[in-house]
Amino acid sequence: MDLHFSAEDEQYRLRLREWLEAHTGRAKNPLAAGGGGDIMGALQGARDWQRTLWEAGYVGLAWPKEYGGQEATLTQQVIVNQELARYSTPPLINTIGLTILGPTLVVNGTDDQRRRFLPKILSAEELWCQGFSEPEAGSDLASLRTRAEIDGDEFVVTGQKVWTSLAPIADWCFLLARTDPNAPKREGISYLLCNMRTPGIKVNALRNAAGGIHFSEVFFDEVRIPRDQLVGELHGGWQIARTTLEHERSGLSNVLSLEQTLKRLWATASSLQQGTGVALDDPSLRREFARAWVDIEALRYLGFRTLSAQIAGRTPGAGASVGKLHASQLRQRLADLALRTEGPLAQLAKRSPHVVDRGRWVAAYFDALGHSIGGGTAEIQRNTIAERVLGLPRSVVD
Amino acid sequence: MDFELSDEQVALRDAARDYFANRWSRDHVRDALDRPPVVVPDELWQEVAELGWVGIAVAVEAGGSGGDVATAAVIAEEAGRALFPSALASVLTAAVALDRAGDRWRGALLEGVCAGTRRAVCAFEEPGGAWGPDAVRTTAVRDGDRLVVSGSKILVADVEGTDTLLVAARTPTGVALVAVPADAPGVTITPMIRIDGGQIGEVVLDAVQLPADALLGSDAPADAGDDAGADADALARSTYDLGTLLGAADLLGVAEAALAVTTAFANDRVQFGRPIGSFQAVSHRLADVLVDVEITRSLLYAACLAMDEGRPDAAELVSAVKVAANEAAVRATEAAVQLHGGIGFTWELDVHLYLRRARAGVATFGDGAHHLDRIFAQHTQARAAT
Repeated sequence: MDLHFSAEDEQYRLRLREWLEAHTGRAKNPLAAGGGGDIMGALQGARDWQRTLWEAGYVGLAWPKEYGGQEATLTQQVIVNQELARYSTPPLINTIGLTILGPTLVVNGTDDQRRRFLPKILSAEELWCQGFSEPEAGSDLASLRTRAEIDGDEFVVTGQKVWTSLAPIADWCFLLARTDPNAPKREGISYLLCNMRTPGIKVNALRNAAGGIHFSEVFFDEVRIPRDQLVGELHGGWQIARTTLEHERSGLSNVLSLEQTLKRLWATASSLQQGTGVALDDPSLRREFARAWVDIEALRYLGFRTLSAQIAGRTPGAGASVGKLHASQLRQRLADLALRTEGPLAQLAKRSPHVVDRGRWVAAYFDALGHSIGGGTAEIQRNTIAERVLGLPRSVVD
Repeated sequence: MDFELSDEQVALRDAARDYFANRWSRDHVRDALDRPPVVVPDELWQEVAELGWVGIAVAVEAGGSGGDVATAAVIAEEAGRALFPSALASVLTAAVALDRAGDRWRGALLEGVCAGTRRAVCAFEEPGGAWGPDAVRTTAVRDGDRLVVSGSKILVADVEGTDTLLVAARTPTGVALVAVPADAPGVTITPMIRIDGGQIGEVVLDAVQLPADALLGSDAPADAGDDAGADADALARSTYDLGTLLGAADLLGVAEAALAVTTAFANDRVQFGRPIGSFQAVSHRLADVLVDVEITRSLLYAACLAMDEGRPDAAELVSAVKVAANEAAVRATEAAVQLHGGIGFTWELDVHLYLRRARAGVATFGDGAHHLDRIFAQHTQARAAT
């Protein structure tokens, strides 16, 4: 057992830190500014930040050099995630393209597709959104109904997607559509790349429970997509999407941000007046803080085990589901702890007088609730663990 | 970066799993519930000693196998999985304490312990409802060239058949382990009965007279320039931490065994025309147990590594894994009872044996609240220091 990074890796970390020290001046979260501010300026700022980071060699670490990647080691990828979290840099604007589409094209794309799309994903010149979920196809994604009919050299797409993050600003969308309505439901789906400026696309932004706008509905009305924007085989989209959704990540990048959140909450609890003392005088609350620390350490070391398996070339299998389920639960417990720490003031909205920490904790609470829904609900994670780790029979028959 | 068991540790794990499966029957445990306690027959004890497992974490030159803490945890986990008596972990822990206490304690006793011909166990807990070194009120007082130990110990695991007790006692500079012969005048041992049939006892020490050097390590003040060996207080605390860590490993083994037997049952048992494991009310509960198990294993490896490297966060990580193991073991074994249905509530099925071991283990070496308080205190200290 050895948890140390190699000397070269630590050198790499130091160089990255130096770079971040010099550049984090521009890393004020450009989107968080929002809210009546200059949206287009903020958007450009976000694109610029990703591009700067890419040009420095810290985006697309796992990707082939030929398409603008770094071919870096797994440990270097972890180091970059850790340091970006440590410096609280803004999330990369093109995350969906970077984490889902890019790896898919590396494996399943044609050479033309890779050359055409990958560099602009890295540079944030083209922003991507994902068109998978539909109103009638959430957890049961394979039931999707959006049709793509072949007409000469084109697909003609009609249907509706939902929960599409970034849709109003995205340049492109990768989507799943049914190309063979008569085949069994997993065998008639194709994986397509669609320019969001194509006629027939309508985007309707949805407001989420927290009041923010993070996702949209996207309507496709006879949208024409050139045939060469099919990824992989015709009708072979389900397997491709499934592989990408399982794209393993160690989850280590979450640990630092959660640690910082706990530290911040600890400071609040140590100073927030409650009765004649402070919130953290309460022994039961103290135990919950200790418990939150345990949960975060568990996520850290679970991540190191996943990483070790990846380095050793073992597939962690459904281990990522374990990490995701634990992470979403701990995030929710932490957010709940935050609101209980606030006591009576937990009822206050962001702009209210006396609000604690400018309303950060109620926002964190709503955000945490979304973590056990998006990217595969907690229930689907449990199905995956039950079936693929424990070997229990499938719960869903179709 | 390699945060999994080494190939040697995996081989040891497999060997231990096979050995316990072949040589130990859970029927011994069930029988012992009516006629406590469950003990390891001498012949088996000799075997595990010859396999090198009693001295697994003792230095080779002191008669042991030279393994690290992670290796010791492998043995403890497999013993838990098989419901093998706790004696292995108890004696293993005491052996490590003797090994670390310096040359004075290496020799006939430690070699005999590793070889299976002698036994030593630690005695930490006392009446009063608290756990661990901080709750120790038993005293070790110097009187001329004698050391006089007085106090009362309870829940002393595997006390019968032991020739040496390592008794945690208060000294002017903290807590120390004192080697007390079980047959010394003033020592009275009374059996207690554990819910899993495990062997425990009460030890009353009535002004027990010992030689002055019966204390493990040095209890002289830090600035005394004493070179008598390890710091006695640190040794006593790290020994308790090792016991805690091995207790957590034992609980992890129990949790995994309960999960495995319940998963197999859920695959086989058909109701409403389907295996019950296809119902999410069943499968999701088992998935949650799997998450608890994986979390416990991750923290266990972290704590082992921290102890082996002597890192300052070792004690906190030991507490963290005990918190996680306590929860995992209870959730796994309670799920096992529930998901087996009626048969799960019978004496003949092994499920209640796992539950008993879990509930007893949770109350040994500190419950969740104890360890959370310890973590909080250490965090507060660390914050004050920076």
